[in-house]
Amino acid sequence: MSYIEVDGLTKRFGDTVALDDVSFEVPAGEFVIVLGVSGSGKSTLLRTLSGLLSPTDGEILIDGEPMTGPRPEVAMIFQQHNIIGDMTAYSNSLSGGVHRSGFLSSVLQLQDPEEKHRALDALDTVGLLDEAEQKARSMSGGQQQRVGIARALVQQPEILLADEPVASLDPGSAQSVMGYLRTASEDRDLTTFCSLHQVNIARKFGHRFIGLREGKKVFDGYRDELTIDAIDEIYGDIDTEGMFVRGDDDNDAGTDEIATP
Amino acid sequence: MTTDTTDADGTSGQSAVGADGDADADVPGRIAEQFENIKRTRRRRALGWVGLAVFLAFTTLQAFAATELLDPDARLETFTDSLTGFFPITNYFGVVPFLDVGRYVRFIRQQNLLYDPEIGGLLFQFPPNPTDVYVFFFQELGIFQIFGEAGITLAMGFVGTVLGFPFAIIFGTLGSERVTPFPFNFIFRGTMSFIRAIPAIIWTLIFIPFLGLGPSSAAIAIAFDTIGNLGRLFVDELEEIEDGPIEAMRTTGASKPQIVFFGMLSQVRTAFIAWTLYIFEINVRIGVTVGVIGAGGLGYVLTSQQNLLRFTNMMATLLAIFLLIISVELFSQRLRSRLRSDDVEMSIWELITGFPRRMAESMMR
Repeated sequence: MSYIEVDGLTKRFGDTVALDDVSFEVPAGEFVIVLGVSGSGKSTLLRTLSGLLSPTDGEILIDGEPMTGPRPEVAMIFQQHNIIGDMTAYSNSLSGGVHRSGFLSSVLQLQDPEEKHRALDALDTVGLLDEAEQKARSMSGGQQQRVGIARALVQQPEILLADEPVASLDPGSAQSVMGYLRTASEDRDLTTFCSLHQVNIARKFGHRFIGLREGKKVFDGYRDELTIDAIDEIYGDIDTEGMFVRGDDDNDAGTDEIATP
Repeated sequence: MTTDTTDADGTSGQSAVGADGDADADVPGRIAEQFENIKRTRRRRALGWVGLAVFLAFTTLQAFAATELLDPDARLETFTDSLTGFFPITNYFGVVPFLDVGRYVRFIRQQNLLYDPEIGGLLFQFPPNPTDVYVFFFQELGIFQIFGEAGITLAMGFVGTVLGFPFAIIFGTLGSERVTPFPFNFIFRGTMSFIRAIPAIIWTLIFIPFLGLGPSSAAIAIAFDTIGNLGRLFVDELEEIEDGPIEAMRTTGASKPQIVFFGMLSQVRTAFIAWTLYIFEINVRIGVTVGVIGAGGLGYVLTSQQNLLRFTNMMATLLAIFLLIISVELFSQRLRSRLRSDDVEMSIWELITGFPRRMAESMMR
């Protein structure tokens, strides 16, 4: 069971400060949602957590070990899916586990049957078992993102990072992708980090919320603490009226799309 | 006509100014200023073009001098003589002059330019003889040789492409800056540049001491040329790929070769196949050229007939070359357009049986 500890994390690109002294701790199994406007540092935080970027300052400990580069225990899902269009859904899913096999056996798809069952099982989890042999390029945006989730699951991670997984999807697909993401993370006991800019979806799916604004952490709390005031704090001076409906927001408020800045 | 328009414009402009009165007197001034500006710019640009034309004419004149075209040793009579050789005329029924195609066909058959009956006879006989069919495929290895001299040229291009391809992949991939960090990728790019700097025909000369003057040294030379050219196309193609899948493969904890294969090469698979087919087309053409220096195939027939000053036979060989190149291009272009299209691929059966219908549909358009 993994435990994430982020301490004084700072990331600068030249003169731009993308993350400014961000610290938090996340116990294993939590579903954390990172909120913030575009440019608030959400992507940078997730990319740093995944090891794609190295921090300018501060430290990330996962399971007590510092994160120095990408590692198999930490899987990532991208806004642009980043699956390979020329390969089938099955091949894409299988490619999540290549770190367990050698070069030739992964290239020729000569993995153990166990590994191949795992790829199909992951596709089943995201509801794409029947489409396994379809070319990824010919699938819809939502389906492609679900293939991305399947690939991340085949990696057998302990931590799942999702960088705006539904930002380029229509509201219906967004709901379904988030649903599959939460199911997968619950079934497999994964600690999940998901950045979003739709507050309604965030409230519907998240346990815990971390708010970023101009690279600084401005909110860290659980669902009942995420009040209108807190959202004002995260999103600044924009008109938050109607952004979420009090009372039944956990069930159907999520169907309304929200204008984001 | 032009003057009319200018006049009309001028009048309307004046009347407009007049109508507006003195309140907007500064507008025509600004417009006139801008008009002058544009005129000046246009004049400057026209001068520039004239200067460029003069410079080009002057340079071209020098180049003409260097190529001895200013004082050419032209022999028009010899040329027209050779033309009647190229296009032999015969009188049909004693009176109607017509191109004697029969002489072309005779030479093509006599020299086995397009079809070798000795090998083809094994395959095409009635009733089919299983032993001969076996001999054709497995003892005579006749798939290319059945096409006679054209088959030799085609085989040179084919062998060259097949042998060059794996090296082109290796050099092209390692030459990409994303795989091998700068400046080490220039080891591979430099090697490919060096190979490209020397044309295939020269590579054949280099390999003659090794394999003798014949199709074998030509095939190896074409393979070498393929490494340089195809590898370069692969490098360029790899510059275009997206970062996303590479990052995604990195986060899975894949090894470096796995990241290269899954993140990069799988993005360009179709493009690589298409480029390889394109290079195959070019390689068959190179097969003709290297034949000219004696490496065999259609090119060699062409040059030996030229040495004998048998222009009719030369023209017949040219026709055979034309047929070969056009067929290879048609085949390769059809295959490439099929690869590039996102449509559901046709099965080979459908490709053959549906041909008349599709042909008819295209004709009706």
